[in-house]
Amino acid sequence: MKYLILLSALILSACSTTVPVTAKFPDPPGKNAMERCLDLKKLSDTPTLSEISKTVSTNYGTYYECAVKSDSWIEWYQVQKHIFENIVK
Amino acid sequence: MWLLHFLPDSFIQFIVHTILVVGLVGTFLSFFVVNKILRAFPFLSQYVTIPQVVSAVLLVAGVYLEGGYSTEMQWRARVAEVEAKVAEAEEKSKIVNTVIEQKTVEKLKVIQGKTEYITQYIDREIVKYDTKFMPGGECEIPKEFIKAHNDAAEAPKK
Repeated sequence: MKYLILLSALILSACSTTVPVTAKFPDPPGKNAMERCLDLKKLSDTPTLSEISKTVSTNYGTYYECAVKSDSWIEWYQVQKHIFENIVK
Repeated sequence: MWLLHFLPDSFIQFIVHTILVVGLVGTFLSFFVVNKILRAFPFLSQYVTIPQVVSAVLLVAGVYLEGGYSTEMQWRARVAEVEAKVAEAEEKSKIVNTVIEQKTVEKLKVIQGKTEYITQYIDREIVKYDTKFMPGGECEIPKEFIKAHNDAAEAPKK
C-alpha cells in the first residue's frame, strides 16, 4: 500500500509545472526620484514684498523639482515597459 | 516531469536511446530470430510470447520517452533563451536607469541654481520696495492677498 501511495505521489508530481525563469523588478530611477515632493511655502501674517517674492519663487522651484521627478518616473515606466515587453516577443 | 530537471541531459539521452535501441533490437530478434529458435524446441515454445511482449513494451516505452525527451529538451532550450533575454533586459534596465538619474540630477541642479539666482536678485532689487509695501506703508499688501496665496499653497487634505 505504501508503495502505491509513493508511486501515486510521484505520478501526480509529474503534473506540476515549474517556472524556472524569474525577472528582477527594475530599480527606481535614482535616489532623487524616491524623495517625496515638498509642500509649498506659505506667507507669514505680515510679509514684506521681498518675502512674498522669495516665497513665490521658492514655490515655483518646488513645483518644477517635483515635475522633474514625476517626469523621470514617466520616462522610467515607458522605457522599462518597452524593455520587458521585448523579452516575450 | 520536473524530476527530469535533476538529471543531466547526457544521462537522460543515454537512458532513452538505450531503451529505444533495446526495444527495436529486441522486437526484431524476438519476432524474427528467437521466435524460430524457441519453436524448434517443443518444451521452449510456450515461452515464445514472453520476449515478444517484453521487447514490444520496451519499444513502445522507448518511442514514448524519445518524444518526452525531445519535448523536455525544447523546453530547456526555451528556458535558456528566455533567461538570456531577461539578463539582457536587466542590464539594459540598469543602463537606462543611470541615464534617467543623470538627467534628473542635472535638471534639479538647474532649477535649484535658478531659484538661488532669483533669491539673490530679490535680496538686491525687490528689497528696496519693502518699506513701500509694509503694513501701514504707502501700498500695504491686503490680508486677502495673503489669504488667497496661503490657501492656494495649502496641500490638499486626505
